[in-house]
Amino acid sequence: MVSSMGRMGEALAQDASNTLVIAAPATPQGLDIEFDVSLGSIDSLGALYEYMLGYEKIDDPKAKGVMREDTSVHTDKPNNLALRGRLAEQWEVSPDGRKATFKLREGVVSNWGNPFTAKDVKWTWDRKFNLKGQGLFQTAVLGLKSPDQIKIEGDHAISFNLDQPNPLLLKQQCNLANPIYDATKCAEVGGKDDPWAVNFLKNDSAGFGPYRLKQLVRGQQAVFEARDDYWDEKPFMKRVIMREVPQSSSRFSLLQGGAVDIAQFLQPRELEALKNQPNVAVDAVDSSYMIWLELNSKIAPFDNVDVRRAVNLAIPREEIIRTIYYGYADEQKAPMPYIYPMADQSFFNYSYDVAKAKALLEKAGVGTNLSTTLSYNAGDPTQEPIALLIQTSLKQIGIELTLEKLPAGVFYENVTKRAKPMIFYLDSPWTPDPGYSTYLYFNSKSYVNYSNYDNPDVDRMITEGLATLDDKVRQEKYSSVQKTLMDEAPWGFIAYPQYTLARKAALKGYTYYSSNNLRFQDFSRG
Amino acid sequence: MMRILFYFGKRLIFVIPQLLGIVLVSFLLVKSIPGDPAVLMLGPTATPSAIASLREQLGLDQPLYMQFLIYVKDLLHGDLGTSWQTTRPVLEDLIQRFPATLELVTFSLLLAIIIGVSLGVHAARKPNGWIARLADIYGLSAGALPDFWFALVLIFIFYTVLGWAPAPLGRIDMIVLPPMPITGALTIDALLAGDFEAFKSASAHLVLPVLTLGLLNAGPILKMTQATMEKMLESDFSRYEILCGIPQNLVVRHALRNALPSIVTIISVLYGFLIGGAVLVEIVFSWGGAGQYAVQGVLNSDIYPVLGFVLFSAVFSLIVYIAVDLLYFLLDPRISN
Amino acid sequence: MYSKLGLIARLAVIRPRFAIGYIIVIAITLLAIIAPVIAPYSPTEADSTSFLQVPSAAHLFGTDNVGMDIFSRAIYAPRIDLTIAVLGTLLSALVGGSIGAVVGFYSTGRGIRVWLSFAVMRAADVLQAFPVFVFAIALVASLGQSIQTVVLAIAFVNAPIYLRLMRSQVLSIRSMRYVEASQVNGLSDMQTIIRHVIPNAMAPVLAQLSVNIGWGILLTSALSFVGAGVRAPTPEWGSMIAMGFQNVVTGQWWPSMFPGAMLAITVFGFSLVGSSIEVLADPAKRRELLSDLRERRTRSGLPVEPA
Repeated sequence: MVSSMGRMGEALAQDASNTLVIAAPATPQGLDIEFDVSLGSIDSLGALYEYMLGYEKIDDPKAKGVMREDTSVHTDKPNNLALRGRLAEQWEVSPDGRKATFKLREGVVSNWGNPFTAKDVKWTWDRKFNLKGQGLFQTAVLGLKSPDQIKIEGDHAISFNLDQPNPLLLKQQCNLANPIYDATKCAEVGGKDDPWAVNFLKNDSAGFGPYRLKQLVRGQQAVFEARDDYWDEKPFMKRVIMREVPQSSSRFSLLQGGAVDIAQFLQPRELEALKNQPNVAVDAVDSSYMIWLELNSKIAPFDNVDVRRAVNLAIPREEIIRTIYYGYADEQKAPMPYIYPMADQSFFNYSYDVAKAKALLEKAGVGTNLSTTLSYNAGDPTQEPIALLIQTSLKQIGIELTLEKLPAGVFYENVTKRAKPMIFYLDSPWTPDPGYSTYLYFNSKSYVNYSNYDNPDVDRMITEGLATLDDKVRQEKYSSVQKTLMDEAPWGFIAYPQYTLARKAALKGYTYYSSNNLRFQDFSRG
Repeated sequence: MMRILFYFGKRLIFVIPQLLGIVLVSFLLVKSIPGDPAVLMLGPTATPSAIASLREQLGLDQPLYMQFLIYVKDLLHGDLGTSWQTTRPVLEDLIQRFPATLELVTFSLLLAIIIGVSLGVHAARKPNGWIARLADIYGLSAGALPDFWFALVLIFIFYTVLGWAPAPLGRIDMIVLPPMPITGALTIDALLAGDFEAFKSASAHLVLPVLTLGLLNAGPILKMTQATMEKMLESDFSRYEILCGIPQNLVVRHALRNALPSIVTIISVLYGFLIGGAVLVEIVFSWGGAGQYAVQGVLNSDIYPVLGFVLFSAVFSLIVYIAVDLLYFLLDPRISN
Repeated sequence: MYSKLGLIARLAVIRPRFAIGYIIVIAITLLAIIAPVIAPYSPTEADSTSFLQVPSAAHLFGTDNVGMDIFSRAIYAPRIDLTIAVLGTLLSALVGGSIGAVVGFYSTGRGIRVWLSFAVMRAADVLQAFPVFVFAIALVASLGQSIQTVVLAIAFVNAPIYLRLMRSQVLSIRSMRYVEASQVNGLSDMQTIIRHVIPNAMAPVLAQLSVNIGWGILLTSALSFVGAGVRAPTPEWGSMIAMGFQNVVTGQWWPSMFPGAMLAITVFGFSLVGSSIEVLADPAKRRELLSDLRERRTRSGLPVEPA
């Protein structure tokens, strides 16, 4: 305890202009993406780890001074994608789309000083096959069946060998969930008992990113320190302090008082109040976030498709966006992020209509007095008011909702158990692709299919779309998938919230990523 | 001296089964909170086999009475279990957080004593005077205010509107270096380190929460002081002193000395109560104390912090009571003879 | 002899603060009863056309985040708060009190009964050694979030108070002559308790009840404040304060200030009532009061009734 407090002081004493102080809702629970996807964890990943590839950056068309990834389809570029090399210097996909070869960058060292080689990439993917956490999804979505499909082709060359062509082969190399580990360090600390270094990577990092973890006191703060031996441009911010401040009103106060550089995840009402402040700026960009209700298809009354449709007709989206989001959101009209390629909002047929909803319930023959429970996350201050608006609205079509507030710590456990009839979910698929998005949430075998949706036709079409590189064919398949999903309404579609960042006006460089995380190396002062 | 030792011996015989009872009751209570610790520790993507092996490792696959025995056994080895939220041993967490609570509560209690005793003594001197009336109303209304709401009012006035108080966020400004922990109380540690800036910041952060708790909890001390002082001043002893022409101030001082045991008793009870009773104020001010830790534990099915906190506060109350008994020996020569 | 009611009424004249206590309690109770008649809006329905409006003629106390009328909710709230507090307190008095009476009756003498009563007292020690709030919130967490469990939590944390109170009352009354006499006359233990002991212990218990109802309201609202009380959007003061808590920093003070003030006034009222009963129950203070009363009557020329 003595030493940790001493370090905290040391971190704070650094030159203030090169120190980035972030008021975050939570410190990372764990740093291993295999098991932990909490907010604090995903913000740490991009700093601690390096990836094989990245997207090119472009100016955000709406928000001035904000950059974002260029994730759209570029027919003029190789593989139709705008990519830039990171740990992979060059890459090539075979004409049949079944093999990708990567030439790896030389002279890169990890935060433990170990040089980067093809063995590290191989170990990273072997780990996914062995641990069977969320990495299982990452391998499955690529169609990888065995670790042998990833072959070392030399000290600095590696290849991915697939049975079928897969359009995600390169996109997945940019996904935040696929950081490359320092295999040498991991083997060293894990030993025989823990060959995949699960205990180590939960509390520390072994990667090739621009920062190293200096300190992690869960519930209080995490401190990151820029690496002098990082291979690419050295970050402006030498130190990053992520302080846990659970209440958004407190984060608001801290930014207002100038005590922090960034206040994350403020409530829209607070963002409005900050708009008039001279030293504070608010960036708001269209994001891959979606907030929806999981309507559990295996639990009455949502096992009835007409009840699900009726609920969708009675969700007051416009009111929610005006009252709760103060306009920092758009109506959700597709089962995937609207900013992703091939998203199609034309199948949305659920404009607020009480009469139509009532008629559907009558048709469903479920009686006039339905009652069920809506569970929401106490840690997300927008969910309770949205729940209240939905409760009032559903009352009008004869559905009586009981609201159940779940503490933040057990909320996700409840989502994953899939035992609640109706539960909020706020999430985003990290790879900007319709196949990835729909496979994640609607494939009957996906671990994130929390609404228990099961339609063999949809399963088949999603998988087919993941086995062709022809963007025209894919467009057709995924249009039809989206049409079915919108019609069968496994979700109560609510909104696409914007990603908002409240920061000091002098802080520059914010870049939006489709995994909705910060990368500390983007920031500077000017 | 022998009497004191004998007394403690007797006391200990009662204390041990009582502590066991507290552990048992709280164990049964928190064990019935829904939520599987193994699932929570491993996170949403854990495999069933990993969960099963962790359950085995934690002894969760055993019958309840065995789990209790395991807990008590670990307890005797100084192991209070691990919090899944902080992933740290509960003992370490509590050692870090308990001083924060203790500092807050101790200063609040001091404020309550100052208000309670001085108002009580003055009220007792003139039972029908305006101070007595004020004391009456104050005693009743202080106990009627919800502390968490009163804290919000203070924050609204002194932070939001006037801007006099620091942001209601923890014990010290984020940019100020906390002193090396010696006692765990930031103000004292800062003074020991000679760090005036840290002392200033820590004191400023203490003002509003201490005002909240001190003002609202002075009632019982006030009431007890007033009642015993009235009784003492009406006693034959005081009347005799007055008849003898002893100055009034001295009479009051003698009476206060005689009233002290009852006042000390109520203070000790209040001290024990406040350790757990400061929880909501801790939450409002993001104090990072032990009570807040326990409440987060209950809400998030993190049971060991709750058990640890109950145990800590029970032991603390016990220490206070024993200290008070010792004080009686000193205050009242009759007992020690 | 004064009738009890008459006494209270006269008392109100010379100790106006007692009168205030009764007025508050009666007013809040009335408000709870007639809330559906006078509430201008539904207490549980959101209205997104008017959210976070400042207090005005249309919305006396303003509106909250989702446009619910705070005045309507604040006057509906005592229905929940009072019910929970009164039920919880009565339950604790009933259970704690009766166990206390029995224990007091048996705690002298010999045999297994003495040991049992000793064990009960030690169990009460254990319960009282718990940090009250953490104990209550753990109870609610393990039994599930509902009105019944909050009632139970209040009953649990208060029961030892009544246990001790009744026990000490019984102990002091038991030694009195007429109780001994009644036992000689062949009344059973139970009959003795019911006929002699309980009526005599009523006054202090009543005073305690009133104070504890106030505490019960505080505890209910505290539980709701941390999210372990009643479910949203049940109108309840504590949860209203919690919901409005976040708005204070952006300048909207009304969603949490009004319910807090109502809550404080109500608890204050119950404390006043409790202290008035306490005064009436204390023979010395009662004598003092009555002499005060007589003095005034004499001065005002009214006939003096014998005390």
